[in-house]
Amino acid sequence: MLGSFAVLRKQSLLGDAISHAALPGIAIAFLLTGTKDSNILLLGALGSGLIGTFWIRGIINKTHLKSDTALGLILSIFFGFGMLLLTFIQKQPNANQAGLDKYLFGQAATLVESDVWLMALITGLCLLVLVLFWKEFKILLFDKDYANTLGFNTKTIDILITSFIVLAIVLGLQTVGVVLMSAMLLAPAAAARQWTNKLGTMVFLAAIFGAFSGVFGTAISATQNNLSTGPVIVIVASVFVMFSFIFSPNRGLLFRQIRFIKNRRDLELHKTLAFMYHIAKSHENISHPHTIKILNDFQGYTKSTLKKLVDKNYVTLQGNMWSLTTEGFDTAANLYNQQLKKDE
Amino acid sequence: MSSAQIEIQVIASLVAVACAIPGTFLVLRKMAMISDAISHSILPGLVIGFFITQDLNSPMLILLAAVTGVLTVVLVEQIQKTGLVKEDTAIGLVFPALFSIGVIMIAKNANDVHLDVDAVLLGELAFAPFDRLIVSGVDIGPKSLWIIGVILLITIALLFAFFKELKLSTFDAGLATSLGFSPVVIHYGLMTVSSITTVGAFDAVGAILVVALMIAPAASAYLLTTDLKKMLLLSIVFGVFSAISGYWVAHWLDASIAGSITTMLGLLFLIVYLFAPSKGLIAVMYREKQQKIEVSLLTFLLHLKNHTEENERHVNHLREHINWQKIRAKTVVDLALKNNMITIDNHIVSLTEKGDEFTSQAIDYIITNQDTQIEDMKDDFFLFRG
Repeated sequence: MLGSFAVLRKQSLLGDAISHAALPGIAIAFLLTGTKDSNILLLGALGSGLIGTFWIRGIINKTHLKSDTALGLILSIFFGFGMLLLTFIQKQPNANQAGLDKYLFGQAATLVESDVWLMALITGLCLLVLVLFWKEFKILLFDKDYANTLGFNTKTIDILITSFIVLAIVLGLQTVGVVLMSAMLLAPAAAARQWTNKLGTMVFLAAIFGAFSGVFGTAISATQNNLSTGPVIVIVASVFVMFSFIFSPNRGLLFRQIRFIKNRRDLELHKTLAFMYHIAKSHENISHPHTIKILNDFQGYTKSTLKKLVDKNYVTLQGNMWSLTTEGFDTAANLYNQQLKKDE
Repeated sequence: MSSAQIEIQVIASLVAVACAIPGTFLVLRKMAMISDAISHSILPGLVIGFFITQDLNSPMLILLAAVTGVLTVVLVEQIQKTGLVKEDTAIGLVFPALFSIGVIMIAKNANDVHLDVDAVLLGELAFAPFDRLIVSGVDIGPKSLWIIGVILLITIALLFAFFKELKLSTFDAGLATSLGFSPVVIHYGLMTVSSITTVGAFDAVGAILVVALMIAPAASAYLLTTDLKKMLLLSIVFGVFSAISGYWVAHWLDASIAGSITTMLGLLFLIVYLFAPSKGLIAVMYREKQQKIEVSLLTFLLHLKNHTEENERHVNHLREHINWQKIRAKTVVDLALKNNMITIDNHIVSLTEKGDEFTSQAIDYIITNQDTQIEDMKDDFFLFRG
């Protein structure tokens, strides 16, 4: 859901960066408290995720480094630091340490009821904030300067969105793990984007896609042994994206190809008709018959275009001869005028 | 220092150099995230290679993994070309999908072999010296040393051979095309080199460290210089420095070498980010503050010039009129006094000759926006330096 905003704000890879950046937070939280209480660990993750995000912003705003560099940098450095801490923890004489690395890849099966409640709570909170600040989010997303002139505090809203994205990511970490979290954030939104141009619909669709890939993914992984949930969910989500890319009615590749072919055919038809028109114009009688042969060295001509012209009653065929009908002549004469008009 | 320790440091340094070279170009070409994508998506290539050869050490693995890396780049570009999503989204979609495929393949089929996701992602430099390459019974050093050495040699050779082409196509792809170089070939060449480096380096240091080693030194160097050759050199130095210092930190903490090298890289970047002479955070903030004061000064002087009547130039009135706070007003007035641009006589501020001239020039500049007229003022002020 929040992914929609990330995708539209061109911050898609932020999810990836944040999920990696959360690792040192988990490790530090563990080092400080020595417990494996998931809430505290999540708090740590949230903290370091936020630090990472704002550092990325700082780099982009204050230096000439580009966003991709900043993302990659923060991602790898934080993760490396997290690994350092994790291995450091492993050497500590603390029996509690095992299982921290489950945050790396996630294990939906290890979730307990309280985790689920926490998630439900936070999802509800996200939803509430989203509904409350819908207008602000929307305007910030599409026209930041306008939002600024209207007197919205863009910075606060910006921070609000970012914080919620971080929150969502940190929560998801437990389920699908660091590496795959970014796909969970992106894939449903990217899929939803193909079906609609409206933000509201898109967010709604993204939520549905996300939920479906979660359910299907879990179901598939439950039927087989040794299949961890996270990757399966991601693959299901990717399939959704692929399907959307190909089959969505307006932006999809399939329909675009069909439209492309159709346009080309139309163009060929027009070309043939225009060619015929020029020949017919040189004769007094427009329906004077000509042989089909003279069309042969002309590129737009095929048998099927001729047949289509006949179907449209623009041309009549008699044996090897064709002749324009009055209707066809008029259409051809108006062909360019029409196109001119359309252009205007 | 035992020989194993030396070997680890040598390997780490070689990896650092091998990564820094393509990394510099990736950063300059705004494709840094591609390296992250590659490092994740080589996993299925490795797994397939392992299924075919049943041998973790065969060169086949590296080859297949590199192919997957290039495949990732191609896929990302194809998705991007459809115009359905932006480039970053395309990257974010492709690599988790490929990575998931890899993880699933491992989970389904290779559960009982030594092919561990953790090992792939994090690497273990400490074990590198134990994996020796033995040619006809003679031990000629750790295997990863040889692998990364060869890759490094190839990279350096390619760099020298195609330096001009790389430089041109990085900074001006249009010109490169018109001169007859194919940016596409260079692009894919660079991608292939990055993939191979990533693959070659990752089993020594892990996928994450590869990304860090590619981006962090280059980014730090980019903050310090704008000269490509210097940047390459600096990033190599940074890489090697953090590799070696990172090793000792890890040794001291008894923690993961890969992690501590990355941490060193991070620290290095943080220092550069804060203190870089012209592009660091502190320098930028200082400059912004200076510019702010100078704009204020100019406003102040213009105000003085516009008002000849005495009551408009009274110190107290000025503060109301331009609506400044006390401290800011004081800074500005002090600055102006120090530069002999104003005199304060009985609480009445008036422009000196110098201040008057300066203000006229400034007005000229603002109106005409031509650099030539303010050449001589540039030394005194940040503001006009561009």
